[in-house]
Amino acid sequence: MNYQILDGDIPRRKFLELGFKGSLAVAATPALIAQLLSCAPKGGGKSPIAADPGLLDKVILKALAQGGEFGEVYLENRISRTILLEEGKFKSAVFGLSQGAGVRVISGDKTGYAYTDEISEEKLLRAAEVAGTIAKGAGKTTEAAAVKAKTLPSFVTVNIPLADVADEKRLDVMQRAHQAALDYDKRIKMASINYYDEVRGRTIANSEGLLLTDELPLLFFIVQTLGTGNGTSHMGRERLSAHAGFEMFDGGAAEQAAKNCARESIVMLEAKDAPAGKLDVVMQNGWGGVLVHEAVGHPLEADNIAKKIGVFTGKLGQKVAAPVFTMVDDGSLPNFRGTTNFDDEGTPMKRNVLIQEGVLLKYMSDVLSAKQLGMERTGNGRRESFQYLPIPRMTNTFIEKGKDKPADILASTKSGIYVQSLSGGSVNPVDGVFNFTCREAYLIEDGKKTVPVKGATLIGNCLEVIQNIDAVGDDLEFGPGICGKGQSAEVSAGQPTVRIRGINVGGTRAGR
Amino acid sequence: MDNKTLADQLVKRCLKKGADAAEVYLESNRQLSIEIRNGQIETVQEAASAGAGVRVLIGGRLAFASVNDLRDAALDDAIGRAVGFARITTADPDNVLPDDPTTVDVAGLYDPAIAATPLDQKIAMIMTAEKEAMKDPRITKSAGAAYGEGESEVVIANSTGLLKTSKASGCNFGVSVVAEKGEQKSSGGEYCGRRFFADLKTPAEVAAKAARKAYETLDPKPVKTQKAAVIFDTDVADTLLAGILGAIDGESVLQGASFLGGKLDLKIASELLTVIDDGLRPKGPASAPFDGEGVTTQTRVIIDKGVLKGFLYNTIIGKKAGVKSTGNASRGGFTGLPGIGSHNFTMSAGTVKPEDIIKATKKGLLLKEVTGYGINPVNGQFSGGASGFWIENGKIAFPVRGLTIAGSADEMFNGIDMVADDADLNRGLAAPTFRIKLMQIGGE
Repeated sequence: MNYQILDGDIPRRKFLELGFKGSLAVAATPALIAQLLSCAPKGGGKSPIAADPGLLDKVILKALAQGGEFGEVYLENRISRTILLEEGKFKSAVFGLSQGAGVRVISGDKTGYAYTDEISEEKLLRAAEVAGTIAKGAGKTTEAAAVKAKTLPSFVTVNIPLADVADEKRLDVMQRAHQAALDYDKRIKMASINYYDEVRGRTIANSEGLLLTDELPLLFFIVQTLGTGNGTSHMGRERLSAHAGFEMFDGGAAEQAAKNCARESIVMLEAKDAPAGKLDVVMQNGWGGVLVHEAVGHPLEADNIAKKIGVFTGKLGQKVAAPVFTMVDDGSLPNFRGTTNFDDEGTPMKRNVLIQEGVLLKYMSDVLSAKQLGMERTGNGRRESFQYLPIPRMTNTFIEKGKDKPADILASTKSGIYVQSLSGGSVNPVDGVFNFTCREAYLIEDGKKTVPVKGATLIGNCLEVIQNIDAVGDDLEFGPGICGKGQSAEVSAGQPTVRIRGINVGGTRAGR
Repeated sequence: MDNKTLADQLVKRCLKKGADAAEVYLESNRQLSIEIRNGQIETVQEAASAGAGVRVLIGGRLAFASVNDLRDAALDDAIGRAVGFARITTADPDNVLPDDPTTVDVAGLYDPAIAATPLDQKIAMIMTAEKEAMKDPRITKSAGAAYGEGESEVVIANSTGLLKTSKASGCNFGVSVVAEKGEQKSSGGEYCGRRFFADLKTPAEVAAKAARKAYETLDPKPVKTQKAAVIFDTDVADTLLAGILGAIDGESVLQGASFLGGKLDLKIASELLTVIDDGLRPKGPASAPFDGEGVTTQTRVIIDKGVLKGFLYNTIIGKKAGVKSTGNASRGGFTGLPGIGSHNFTMSAGTVKPEDIIKATKKGLLLKEVTGYGINPVNGQFSGGASGFWIENGKIAFPVRGLTIAGSADEMFNGIDMVADDADLNRGLAAPTFRIKLMQIGGE
């Protein structure tokens, strides 16, 4: 069992798979179903019937006909574009259209789920019937409340809707990033720019009477550069991502990302062998939040707690971490990659303080685990697409900023490793052993960052690592990524500069 | 209309809408998954879906669109989007579609018995697996048992006249349990996947291995940071193979982004290392009669007794490299363009027994689990988290956890000095137990 997080550092093919898995939809204008029609002008599109509250009630009624206490319909559509600029050529342009619906029934601890990629009354009722068979013989039926549309506050503001952006604008941003990367240094032999955008519409209705609809844009811009020299090569990577309109690229953001990426590719050509064994580690602010995502985030997801197998089982209210350590999951940070207005079960997003000054306050729940644990719904029930059941997932997860100055943290570290950026990591949520892999790291000698070292994997145990964090900076920053837990989810991970005492570094030469 | 006729018609519609060349990839599939825990059903998921991926070329410019709806209007929409999108890409004379009328039969890819087996029997199988895994008193909790099955039918048609179809199925089950001792928690899981239902291992066999993995790693002891031999168990053999796979991708090689790029026909590894890519093995988990763009698959030696013999290509990348496609176009489904990937990618077995390797090791690590990113395909650097057993004087001494191992691909490939005869060929990437003479291990 391993849950992982990636910065996109997977073969492109795999990335496309993750990005596209079964879930791209038809439509680019507001209001879920109306769009479906507008984008299929020849009349062969989906029927607007699906958004009709009367039909949703009927489907939920059918879902609970055999028993069960919670019935839900989830409708989704997605339209996406992926454009690849590599070796100076726009090599491919890929359009994705998908729509579908999933029906879920919860009966006690059991869940039935069925999905259909055709949104019609007949198919929805059929899915409801299949999902409902889980409750057969439960002998308990629930009176479903009639669904009633409501509106929740939005955490995503869009200035330039993706639907209004001409493809030429997309190409232009890519072109500029590509050029900026090549111009950085003549040792940059190749630049690869992968542009992805999507608009995803959701309608969620359940037997508690909930009916929510929204539509969110998402951008994911990945730059890779190949540096070659000094007898070796290094592929750098930098990403930009937000639930936002095209204004994400304002102010030269794409060019800046490309320059950062090229800088990494060149710097790492000089990398020396990393030391092996237990060392002190200072992690620069930003995507280093992978540490907290893996080491603490996954183990605090309530599904494994409800199963009583998670490493933090039974530790609520206990001191689990150093007093400088406060950790938050907040799906309401404006326009972040991990932000939505409500989770994929319709629970509103909010700031959840999970660990405050070392004390465990909360797990991250979905509808099922919240019920099983008798706790609140935290807004963490997410799914990759209509083809998946919602499960507890992180949103934007971070170590809250502390009081230390980043420069002081480095200066007071006699020797060790300074981790400037990471690729990703993974964790076993049961025993709490996690790892993360450095993308750009340096030796620390006498409180100073010195030579770069080759990409090492760092490994530790979550309960130990959060007790061994002894300095937390005041410079909180975030990075975007892909989180994998049987299905993929877009997340952010963040942290200020932190220091961890004594973590095992996977280098190729004897340590210290 | 059957999917074959539909695909053929869609290709023609693409040409009519302005494409010079077109390919249609249709896929329909059915899935079932069941999860149980503590003797109770937790989830049952069932679904069928279908979709189309359309690849068009206009004046050498390439674009693609996919849609998960096979009705006329939706398909028209997708074709229109693809043709429209080709406007923005760069013309490239190497952008071509395969012309490959050859066919080959691969036996054992589809088992009708999977769908025909009653649901109750599948549930009973994983209930038994969980019960068996919980038998040992050291096992305290179940993390659940699961059964999954799927079948899919693929049709590929293109404007060179290529029109091929294949049907495949698969099923798997597994169980995961937790052993606890004081504050210690240790998880262990095992699964078995097969093309045919009747070929699945017994629940008891899978359960016993899951339980053993959980309890045998309790009470780990620390070891010092040092260099020592590392024995790769069959469970982690894919670490080495995945590293090779990343570096023999024909596109990475062309881009100068592979540490094996300039090494064709050179000795890159110990003579004990032979690696085969085989698309044709009957019942193979990654077997298929044709690749993701319809090119007939083959059996190829990639590394022959330590000498690198070839790279993997699809049609377009092959043309760029001046070679023919090797039948290695990979496709993650109907939603994306073909990339490059392997079929049954295996390291050939040696002659000794895995026990013999342990016996011959004075000091070292028997590696059971590796975490991290594996071998970097660009520069060959390797670093990972490691757990398993420490070996002293030819015997397993104690479990170890939270270690790191690191090295370069060059050291690892050339350091292979013993290979056992125990590969499990039911995995896409499969290797026998083998030993690398010396690697850096990070510990206390």
